[in-house]
Amino acid sequence: MRKPVLTALPAVAAVATLVLASCGSGGQPGSGEVRLRMIESLTGPERTKLIKSLIADFERANPGVTVELVSPPLDSADQKITQILQTKKGLDVLEVRDHTAKSFSNNGWLAELPTTDWPGWSDLTELARKKAVEVGGKPYLIPYGFYQRTLFYRTDFGMAGPPATWQELYESGRRMTSGDRFGYSFRGGKGGADYAVMMISAYNGEALNPEKSFYLKDKRTIFSTPEAAQALDLFVKIFKDASPPDSVSWGYPEMVQGFTSGVTGMLIQDPEVIKTVEESGVTAWATAPIPKGPTGYAYQPVGYAGWGVTSFSEHQKQAVALVRFLSEAKQSIAFAKGNSLIPISTRAQDDPQFSQGAWKAYLQAQQDPKQVITIRPVDYPGWSQFLVDSDRDVQALITGKKTTAEVLAAWDAFWADQAKKVS
Amino acid sequence: MNRAFTLRRARFVMLCLLPGVAFVAVFTYYPMIRGAVIAFQRYNLFDVTATPFAGLENFRAVLAEERFWTALRNTGTWVALSLFFQFFLGFGLALLLRRHFPGRALYQAWVFFPWAMSGFLIGLLWRWMFNGQFGVVNDLLLKAGLIDERIGFLATPGWAMTSVIVANIWYGVTFFAIMITAALQSVPGELYEAAAVDGASRTRRFWHVTLPHIRPTLALIVLLRVIWILNFPDLIYSMTGGGPAGGTDIITTFLIQQVIGGDYGRAGAVGLLVLGLLLSFSVFYLNATRFERAR
Repeated sequence: MRKPVLTALPAVAAVATLVLASCGSGGQPGSGEVRLRMIESLTGPERTKLIKSLIADFERANPGVTVELVSPPLDSADQKITQILQTKKGLDVLEVRDHTAKSFSNNGWLAELPTTDWPGWSDLTELARKKAVEVGGKPYLIPYGFYQRTLFYRTDFGMAGPPATWQELYESGRRMTSGDRFGYSFRGGKGGADYAVMMISAYNGEALNPEKSFYLKDKRTIFSTPEAAQALDLFVKIFKDASPPDSVSWGYPEMVQGFTSGVTGMLIQDPEVIKTVEESGVTAWATAPIPKGPTGYAYQPVGYAGWGVTSFSEHQKQAVALVRFLSEAKQSIAFAKGNSLIPISTRAQDDPQFSQGAWKAYLQAQQDPKQVITIRPVDYPGWSQFLVDSDRDVQALITGKKTTAEVLAAWDAFWADQAKKVS
Repeated sequence: MNRAFTLRRARFVMLCLLPGVAFVAVFTYYPMIRGAVIAFQRYNLFDVTATPFAGLENFRAVLAEERFWTALRNTGTWVALSLFFQFFLGFGLALLLRRHFPGRALYQAWVFFPWAMSGFLIGLLWRWMFNGQFGVVNDLLLKAGLIDERIGFLATPGWAMTSVIVANIWYGVTFFAIMITAALQSVPGELYEAAAVDGASRTRRFWHVTLPHIRPTLALIVLLRVIWILNFPDLIYSMTGGGPAGGTDIITTFLIQQVIGGDYGRAGAVGLLVLGLLLSFSVFYLNATRFERAR
């Protein structure tokens, strides 16, 4: 017991070194082995399994390269990825989402992906290529698939056909509403403002600038017009006359549950719901493109996420190879199928899954020049704040705490101010 | 005291303490101080390459928001009602658990179970139970003939607050029950026997033997619970997200919204305000309970 300190100190140091070493990047110099570390964001058990099998294929095709996949829980994944990126260490490949792309690239965390020497690039759909370079004009990510909304409707609830306009949706919905049955799966909870914006956009028609979809071609905001007021009034009417009163607080799960349990007759949602509805007891249903405004336009953004490479990766070459591998036709179609996504490969059109049944509505929408894909102002500093504020405003609106005029005035002021900050 | 506290010995003690101190410093104090500093910076996640100091700007912005004050009022309701019912129901349950019956240990473990579950998960469960269309609560009330029409519990401003508080009471009762059971078991049995010999009634025994004995523990549990309930946005966040239209926002869900909005500076400011609030409450409360003891 003479000098316990002398023995304790090295022990502490050794433990500390071990802990720190295990935090660092995995490349072991000298052995010729390259270890890539990859992180996903929209984690789900089935999806992770699929990614792992694709990674295994990649490892087989590239001996000497191993990939370690990190799968943080969905709810905090993007925060976690941000934290790792801030340390600029130990990450090679990552999942970038449409709403994280700008901040990741702004902060210099993403590497530009070379596309010229890659034959897979020309296999991508026009949309995929466009979205790859959407942020900063350089390919900071390759999308792996798209989410776009479509209308789901019951064919046994007395509708002759799907509503083509929001006004028709309101009328069919109101007719369907009686007792415990309602016309429409309204979204009043998280994400509800998105639907209000969808309607306001459609009502603004041709005047809207799809490249900056919260603004008109004459630079005013889409919230400043009389058409916006009409749209928002109808939005409130759809809630009051055609939707469950409880839908004030409905988010994604309740909307879908409302439709699959037979409480509501119409639902506007992403393609992954196709799978859910197929697995539910509902049999008499179909899909159609989303409703349009009075002048025949419908606007919606397309949600996406993709794979990117970090700017500080020590194995750029191998990391880029992995992203390319995942984005090539065979792998990307498998991934889109597994996750019920709109695929990025032009070759998917030959695939029966994407040209039949419920998926046909997407093809229809793609071929309709008045079903326009927009780019939302996700690259404006106030974007995230608006998501939080606007959902709240929608709840205040439908519960009668705010008027249409008040909400529109607030949104107009917010985005007019944002325009000044960006230009 | 034959072992002198020599300099060498002091040095050894310091060295032994070092890893612990370092750990706490790195993982507790550093983030705390960093968070406090952010409150005085213009720190938006949108671009963290430029984060200049902004003085009290964030505090001014937060205090100017009506939502902050709504959240503050809601926090009062949330904490007071949750605490009140958790305390009394928990106390009742503890008194029942004190009796001897077969399988008591197992039963106690079961009672404690909700406390071990994640608040977020509990929130999701209650969110479905309180659902206006498919929720089991509505179903039961309808079948029992207590209501004629489904209630949109989470969709109506008054009901939404009630609903989240009910969920929180359910969650927190067991904590009080277990803590108070433990405290009750520490009351020496002889005291009851002596009181009984002196002819004290059941009520008097409770007031004059049980209560004085467990009072310090009760005071501490209540303080802890106030802090925890205030810092417990999980339930509300997963049940209503603070809605409808801010009707169930408490100060900590308000904070989360600032974080999601990307404005870490403001979030830091709210965090410091919460800290200040809890600190002043704790000081006030501890003073008040010390007064009790002196009496």
